[in-house]
Amino acid sequence: MKGGGFRIYAICYLIFLYAPIIILPLFAFNDATVIAFPLSGFTTKWFAEMTTQPALGQAVKNSLIIAVSASVLATTLGVFAARASTRYDFPFKGGIMGLIMLPLVLPEIIVAVSLLVVLLGLGVNLSILTVILGHVLICTPFTIAILSSAFQSLDRSLEEAAYDLGETAVSTFRLIILPLVMPGIISSLLISFTISLDEFIIAFFLAGTEVTLPVYIFSQFRFPQAVPVIMALGTILVGMSILLLTIAEYFRRRGLARSGAKDTGGFL
Amino acid sequence: MTVEKPTMIEFRDVHKYYGDYHALRGITAKIRAGEFFSLLGPSGCGKTTLLRTIAGFEGISSGAVMIDGKHMEGVPANKRPTNMVFQSYAIFPHLTVAQNVGFGLRRANLAKDELARRVGEALEMVGLKGYGARAAHALSGGQRQRVALARALILKPKVLLLDEPLSALDKKMREQMQVELIKLQRQVGITFILVTHDQEEALVMSDRIAVMFEGEIAQLADPETLYRRPNSKKVADFIGTMNFLPAEILSEGPGGIEIEAQGLGRVTLAPDQAPGAASGQGATVGFRPETLTILFEGQPTAERESMGTIEEVVYYGDMTYYDVRLDGTASPTRISMRNVFGRPVLDIGARARIAWSAGALVLFR
Amino acid sequence: MELGSRWDRFRRSEAASGYMLVSPTALYAILLLAAPLGTIILYSFLTDGYLEIVRTFTLANYHEAWTNELYRTVMLRSLGVSMAVTLVTVVLAFPVAYFVSFHVDPSRKSLWLFLITIPFWTSYLIRVFLWKVILGFNGVVNSGLMGLGIIDEPLTFILYNVNAVVITLAHAYAPFAILPIFVALEKIDRSLLEAGQDLGESRFMTFLRVTLPLAMPGVIASVLIVFIPTIGDYVTPQLVGGPEGRMVANLIQLQYLKLDNYPLGSAIAVSAMGIVTVVSLLFLFLNRRYLKGPKS
Repeated sequence: MKGGGFRIYAICYLIFLYAPIIILPLFAFNDATVIAFPLSGFTTKWFAEMTTQPALGQAVKNSLIIAVSASVLATTLGVFAARASTRYDFPFKGGIMGLIMLPLVLPEIIVAVSLLVVLLGLGVNLSILTVILGHVLICTPFTIAILSSAFQSLDRSLEEAAYDLGETAVSTFRLIILPLVMPGIISSLLISFTISLDEFIIAFFLAGTEVTLPVYIFSQFRFPQAVPVIMALGTILVGMSILLLTIAEYFRRRGLARSGAKDTGGFL
Repeated sequence: MTVEKPTMIEFRDVHKYYGDYHALRGITAKIRAGEFFSLLGPSGCGKTTLLRTIAGFEGISSGAVMIDGKHMEGVPANKRPTNMVFQSYAIFPHLTVAQNVGFGLRRANLAKDELARRVGEALEMVGLKGYGARAAHALSGGQRQRVALARALILKPKVLLLDEPLSALDKKMREQMQVELIKLQRQVGITFILVTHDQEEALVMSDRIAVMFEGEIAQLADPETLYRRPNSKKVADFIGTMNFLPAEILSEGPGGIEIEAQGLGRVTLAPDQAPGAASGQGATVGFRPETLTILFEGQPTAERESMGTIEEVVYYGDMTYYDVRLDGTASPTRISMRNVFGRPVLDIGARARIAWSAGALVLFR
Repeated sequence: MELGSRWDRFRRSEAASGYMLVSPTALYAILLLAAPLGTIILYSFLTDGYLEIVRTFTLANYHEAWTNELYRTVMLRSLGVSMAVTLVTVVLAFPVAYFVSFHVDPSRKSLWLFLITIPFWTSYLIRVFLWKVILGFNGVVNSGLMGLGIIDEPLTFILYNVNAVVITLAHAYAPFAILPIFVALEKIDRSLLEAGQDLGESRFMTFLRVTLPLAMPGVIASVLIVFIPTIGDYVTPQLVGGPEGRMVANLIQLQYLKLDNYPLGSAIAVSAMGIVTVVSLLFLFLNRRYLKGPKS
């Protein structure tokens, strides 16, 4: 084993990273209303209790609608921008791409309040739709990051070869480019879905009277007796995100393997 | 005398600009049908650009490109009777070998078994029989090259364009593919146009070669003429090794050119020994290392001889390269000698008799 | 001349294709990002009237935001927290990035990166809440330490204050810090390190004189990517910060949603962004020598 000291440190660091996720299921199955140690006993009643809360059901439904719409829209916008930035050169490209990628570093509260001001100023009613608009904004930079690497690893002569063999620009896109970046598209859909599902502040500001899953969770933190159910819900959510991320990672790697590119790391 | 073959490709004063950069500077040339033609030059000389103007991937700024007598202006790449083998091969990684080879036939709407038959034929032609079901990304470099060839040839193009197709292969594989490509070209009879920066590759494979520098064709000739009668020092230097010695033109007439060359003395050259146009930079004679011979003791006197001192000896096994300073010259002259069993390799500092022949000289002026 | 115009036409068409492709996304960003950001900057100069915004230019909001004791404290605290989080995160992250880049078998690197990124993507709210559980009065840390007999009564300085905010944010932004450093380390030609040692430097000096300077662009990227968003974090201070851990985002939320004072909220938001920008630029300026050189 190489890097002895570093390895121990890195493993400790991983434990630090995973600490909350490891503790989460402990309380989800703990037979006590108070979220504290020591644990008292095993139960699955918190999971059962989730089904009895109509507000939760509505929040899940809203969140799913938002996450699906936002991920499809963001990925579509991402395909356009990623293709444009990897294939073409145009004046002010840096500035334009910089603006599009800005939400990656911009605090979400800034995005949220600025959108809120404009939407209210325009007289738009806050609803699921306004949350979707905000989520597309913050998901798009992630989709571009993923899709750019997919488009980048695409050898330009593949397109030319298809064209040379008699295909048109459109059929070349359908037969060659699309299949080769498909893993990137799937991974980008899954990532934006995960981001949108988990996003709190924008939904908090822009959802109006509608409630999304994170907004619901946040509101439940105020009621100590509701917290165990949230732990159960969280366990399911975490499990789902890990599953989605694993699938996304699988597709991202398959995409790289297909185009024969070297793996250069994760999503970010 | 063979009858001149018809012209397949014609460039008429082709210019190409990238912004202010003048990539092609008035290319005028004809490539004959069924010819193995090479575009040879250092990187950045415009050879790939010229090839891509034939394929239709690059537009031209002025002039005309004709294929088989037809103007190609406005004809897109997918409508031209040319197919290309790309430098990276551009094998579609998500398709099988057979799907790659049959890609161009999609639009022909062939019956399934007809398609399979033609793909099989094409694969057999390039020596990949039975590889059809393999995944493209599992192929070796040489196999990818063959798939690219089969994929381009299956459409029976009038012209096959090859963009440095051998540059990614190792030396052994490259030499093997050179021979296979020549055979393949003879077999299918299609015009092949090869872009390469490797002069040896061009000499080995081509019927004719266009040597390009800085967007212009410096010389267009068959390999032997190019090697023996290069029309400029630059071409001579790019193809193989050439020795240069300063010379002075004494007289010039219909019977030949009389010169006085450093280290060689007075020589009369035939008119064809000065193939290039005058550059105004003074006269130089050039000659290849293998056209000189060191005379060992006991060997008879040659028609033309000079004396020199050996300055450097490089032993190559089958050959020995000597750098010899001919008496009266400022720089050494390279001489390559085939090693003969039992004959010693000379030492540095030894004096040597050098035999040469006036017919091997080329005059640049 | 004729050739020039032809070239221009070609170039225009290439640029045109690029613009056409990028335009849906760019338009979206202009309408829903640039315009709103412009609007809050505009709002920050207007006056809050009862039920509507008065359209007169004023600097009063900024005066209020910068002189009011409460706002100033929160703003400075946010800056301090953000800097502390950045320092802690980057310093803790560097050895991990170094380990993955230099000591992990290449075939397993992406597994490690994947493991590092996973927690980042799992429900942020619940993760933050769980830190409350870990750091709380009856939390994991306290019951653990008491169980081991190290402390007699629960530690109280680890929840509902700035410390808790720093710990939680450092956890949340860990992958953000690791990845840029990792990428920079991966780019280092390993023979440079051998050359360093070959030229007589010890391992540690080679690290200081070769590895660290070459990794600096990654470190700088890490610093910015952690520093900029953390200053605007809302959830963490709200849940684990307690009253003395409130940060600027909580203030903005208060102005917008509770007090309905958009101009003042905007002025605070713009001020916060201004501070972030100035500090980031200052940081870049101080480290400019690491960012020069051949672009790869």
